[in-house]
Amino acid sequence: MFTRCAILAAGLASVAPLGFGAAEPLSKAQIQSVVRIEALTIPTPGEFFAAIDKQGQPNWTQLFQPKSAGVTSSRAQMALMLGVLVADGYIAVEAQDGQGVKNTGKDIINLGTKLNVSKTILGRGNSINDFAENNDWSALREELEATQNEVKLAMAEQKDQNLVILVTVGAWVRGTDVAALYISKNYTPGLASLLRQPAIIEYLLSQLGLLPGSLRLDPLVQKLEQDLASALKLVDTDPDKPFPAESVKALSETMSGLVNAIAEGAKNP
Amino acid sequence: MKASLLAVLLGMTPLMAEQNPAPAAEPATLATPRSRALELAGAFANEGYKIRDGFWAGSIEPAKPLLIEVNLFEGNEYWFSAAALSPARKISVDVFDQKGRPVPGERYQEGPSSAAGIVAQKSGRYFIRLSLAEGEKADFCLVYSYK
Repeated sequence: MFTRCAILAAGLASVAPLGFGAAEPLSKAQIQSVVRIEALTIPTPGEFFAAIDKQGQPNWTQLFQPKSAGVTSSRAQMALMLGVLVADGYIAVEAQDGQGVKNTGKDIINLGTKLNVSKTILGRGNSINDFAENNDWSALREELEATQNEVKLAMAEQKDQNLVILVTVGAWVRGTDVAALYISKNYTPGLASLLRQPAIIEYLLSQLGLLPGSLRLDPLVQKLEQDLASALKLVDTDPDKPFPAESVKALSETMSGLVNAIAEGAKNP
Repeated sequence: MKASLLAVLLGMTPLMAEQNPAPAAEPATLATPRSRALELAGAFANEGYKIRDGFWAGSIEPAKPLLIEVNLFEGNEYWFSAAALSPARKISVDVFDQKGRPVPGERYQEGPSSAAGIVAQKSGRYFIRLSLAEGEKADFCLVYSYK
């Protein structure tokens, strides 16, 4: 548990820990001024899985069913798939599957090559291999996030800014897909409450809404917007009431359908 | 160059993302807001906290606290660590729930470095407030870690 000992043990004994919580509540105007930064506002799949590990005992080896990208020339689909692969990397880390992490890292580099960002992340690929070789799971979690952030930075540098949000969406969708699948089969109200993250979906939808018209006409992006809106309706409920098992199942089906669409490509209606 | 691109990537306004050269008293090679924030977060890493690669950086002014939204998971433990450079003398970090109510927890405070630690009681949206309590406008950086 979280205790004051954590601070002292962390070597910060020179300043005593202080309880806090006496601050005045925020006003609505203050809340409206809030900054959202993708790199912090959106949690990593690793945080999601850490919370699941506290309440359940998932068999991550069983849950690690990596997706592979179908043949596509769509950069939007590739960017989404890159996000999916990053989330798969986190699942492989949870499963402590070194070879799985290496394979996923290789897939990320291959996809990065198609998106012209491989130069930036080749070094990261080597690090992923080294950490996987040494079973350094904690370092791997950080390396996966750093790889994702470097891919996004490289995309921004080569004026592919619009693809950045798609990487984030891909990772979030895949993480939620696996979490919802596990929770739907091992339902408890506590586990289910982890899925209630309406603000994240609202943010992702708002960013998808800013994409240029050509990208928003992409059938896959259209499906994303549609299905994320459905997912938002499922999770945007009273946080003081349990998140029902039926909603978990529905969310699992929605996310699973989206991950398959990202891997295979959405068809024109 | 990278800093400005990163600012765009992170969705910050140019003003917020402005990175002034470190003052003479703060050797740039040794101290940046990010290096100091990471140094603080690193202490918690010894306790099993994983540091997020992402960070929030910019400038903070007296009487103009800044808020960032994060989305946390019930049961996870978090530390939000921030640091600023001179002429900032004291900064503070506070955590609020989605209704804007202060969240009780722990705080580490030492001049222009500060951290707030909480256990998320519910999954969802939280707000992290960074305030410059003493000193003048300065560059800052905030990182977070979890376990």
